[in-house]
Amino acid sequence: MSEAVVKLTDVWKIFGEGAEEAMSAVKSEGIGKPEVLARFQCVVGVQSASFEVPKGEIFCIMGLSGSGKSTLVRHVNRLIEPTAGTIEILGKDVSSISDNELRRIRAQQIGMVFQHMALMPHRSVRDNVAYPLEIRKISKSKRWAVSDHALGLVDLTGYEDRLPKELSGGMQQRVGIARALASDPEILLMDEPFSALDPLIRLQLQDQFKALVAQLQKTTLFITHDLDEAIRIGHRIAIMKDGLIVQIGTPEDIVMNPADDYVREFVQGISKLKLVKAHSIMEPLERYQKPLDGAPRADHGADLDQLIDIAVRTDHPVVITDGGTDVGIVTKPTLLRGIQGGKDD
Amino acid sequence: MTDATTEVRVTAASDIEVDRDALDTSIKEFAAANGEYYVESFHKIHDATTAIPGTFNLWAAVLGPLWAASRAIWGMFWTFLILEVIAWVQIGRGAWGNPGAEIGERAERQLARAEQLRQRAADATEQADIERFTKLAENIQKAADSSLEQAAAAQAEASSIMLTGLALLLVFKLVQGLYANQIYERQYSRWRVDPEKTESGRKNQNTVLGAILTAAIGPLIVYKFTVASSLPLLDAFPETSVSEIILGEGGGTLFSSIANWLEARIDRAAAAGGDVFDGIVNGVRAVLDALTVALNGSPWPVVMLVIVVTAWRAAGPRVAIFTAASLAYIALLGYWAVAMETVALVGAAVILCVVFGIPLGIWFGKSRRAYNIAEPVLDLMQTLPAFVYLIPIIAFFGTGNPPGILATIIFGMPPVIRLTALGMRGVPGSIKEAAVAFGASRWQLLKDVEIPLALPSIMTGVNQTILMCLSMVVIISLIGGGGLGKEILEALQYAAKGPGLLGGFAILFVAMVLDRIIQGAFRREDEKI
Repeated sequence: MSEAVVKLTDVWKIFGEGAEEAMSAVKSEGIGKPEVLARFQCVVGVQSASFEVPKGEIFCIMGLSGSGKSTLVRHVNRLIEPTAGTIEILGKDVSSISDNELRRIRAQQIGMVFQHMALMPHRSVRDNVAYPLEIRKISKSKRWAVSDHALGLVDLTGYEDRLPKELSGGMQQRVGIARALASDPEILLMDEPFSALDPLIRLQLQDQFKALVAQLQKTTLFITHDLDEAIRIGHRIAIMKDGLIVQIGTPEDIVMNPADDYVREFVQGISKLKLVKAHSIMEPLERYQKPLDGAPRADHGADLDQLIDIAVRTDHPVVITDGGTDVGIVTKPTLLRGIQGGKDD
Repeated sequence: MTDATTEVRVTAASDIEVDRDALDTSIKEFAAANGEYYVESFHKIHDATTAIPGTFNLWAAVLGPLWAASRAIWGMFWTFLILEVIAWVQIGRGAWGNPGAEIGERAERQLARAEQLRQRAADATEQADIERFTKLAENIQKAADSSLEQAAAAQAEASSIMLTGLALLLVFKLVQGLYANQIYERQYSRWRVDPEKTESGRKNQNTVLGAILTAAIGPLIVYKFTVASSLPLLDAFPETSVSEIILGEGGGTLFSSIANWLEARIDRAAAAGGDVFDGIVNGVRAVLDALTVALNGSPWPVVMLVIVVTAWRAAGPRVAIFTAASLAYIALLGYWAVAMETVALVGAAVILCVVFGIPLGIWFGKSRRAYNIAEPVLDLMQTLPAFVYLIPIIAFFGTGNPPGILATIIFGMPPVIRLTALGMRGVPGSIKEAAVAFGASRWQLLKDVEIPLALPSIMTGVNQTILMCLSMVVIISLIGGGGLGKEILEALQYAAKGPGLLGGFAILFVAMVLDRIIQGAFRREDEKI
């Protein structure tokens, strides 16, 4: 894993008047969320969050409303101050920097996209996108050029002089993405950017966004309440519940090995076809006694969808290979159980 | 997602049994004393399908308002206290009042006069005098007879008045008896929703309070309206006697001593802060002078042209034509100079309101605490009648145009402050957050996000302020303000109908032209967003 672009270590956020006392009580006595509320009238927003995001990764934070995911992501650009813990961006601790330095980091290194677009209604699309540059007092000609380029990245060329209200919801959110990309930041913070859009537009934007980020190599923290979206977009997913990160892992990890019942309940309805790879369901070759003549071969990285395509054309089981050598076997019962989500016989 | 394991048993609506136990406990808790009775009567009310209640609360009928007080139903208490007192007044008038008393007295006077005249007729020696006096005596005797008849009729009416009173009282008692439980049931429903704020049970303190109120109000009213000559103590507040008790004999009244004290205070404060007040007046005067030079100093064709062109640009050709016609009216009737003075007065007041009001509004919009402190002051500025603060303004700032502008500002500034604060608070948090997330400083946030987004509201505030300032034009002429207001005031003083109406129309046209131009300009501004 290369050096972390964003690194959170034991970050806590407690809201309320007596947050400091509550924090020390949590540290020394280890009291939980309900006790903090009862004793200090404070709400625990984030409990002991620690994770690292390497360059170019899309790190999804998934949780239901009130799970603290939006609160957590706002710590990265310090829209919310942590009660305890450290936050490092590109190896620099941002909790101790001056206001000026913080504004510089916000303007140059972090782009943010919001659930409700948060575009300025009185400014044209171009001026909205150029606003982060305007804050940095960059000349108008440069601003406009950068802004037009960013709008090109999200396929909005030709809409520069419109007002935001003249655009559809999906287009407005693309303006939001262009604004976040305009200052060419290292990090993108996406706060449920596609939640308010209708499903078809959402799918399109997810694909477009994934391709764009892969191309531009932006480190992304992506918040969502939709596990499908997290699986579609994320390289890794953190699942949050009541301010606590309950599991961090790749989509496959999460679906195949849920850490607890809460996560299991979530992943139940998820389609495994594109997610589960052959190597995670295959059985050892020795278990299969009959001869393997004429059995088709598949790479260990093939997903269930591909395995089904192969299996329907033959009566034999599918032999799984890794670099040319046979490493395992997938019989039809194994495959069907794999689709169901790894139930035992 | 999870399997539904809880089984829900569905019962047809007609088969659902009414569960009374929980309700009964709750009603008993509410009624406290005499719970069983109220459980029973509330059940009757709950079961009733018609508007006529099947219950009669005997105690409510007998005790009337006292019952309502003991159960803390204050609305019912006051309503029926007043109604019962009215009934008692009728009964009192019939029983011991003297409805024909005044007419009877007149009849007696007339009889005495007739007797006197007859005496003079008897004493007279000349035939002409005798006839004259006899004639007069006869006439007055006739008048006295008719007065006596009227008095007798009024006396006869007394018994019918008393009967009416008794009937009224009976009706009120019946109504209370019939509806008491229903009203009490409503209170019970409110109590279920908000047990903290709704009184329940029967409390002695309420009963005592009700009894005291009834005892204080009932007898005094009945006494005042039934006894012909009532006590002077009850007729007017004895403020001079009270003043004497407080200040001692010959100490004057409370009013005069406090007024004198205040006057001395104000004089001293005005003298002490003279420089400050002069400074304020000079500042206001500078703004006014600049505007006066622009409007009255420039040649009139230039000013007219500028106004008409502004109207055209801001609000279109129709308003421009109306503006030209209004200006022609004003100029032809010789009001040009005074009208421009009025515009300068209003303009100066508006400029000062906006210059101080918008920053204050921004501050109040951002700081909840500051707004909470300022709000009562703003309310006071708007609700206080202008005539009240004209006097302190004269005391501190003297008379003339600048104090007039200050009075206008007091009345005109609250809308722009309020609407600016409202606009600032209405800026969506998400847009502010976005600007901060992209590194905006507080000043950039204010300049790029908050003010532009609050602008429609701020503009509405400015518009309101302009109209409020216009409405002060006549009032400030009372403290020496000039312009069209002065013309109206003079016309008013001499009841000059013609000049008054012409001046009034001139003010109307000035106001309409200003309003049209501003509305037009703001509408175009609004369309941009």
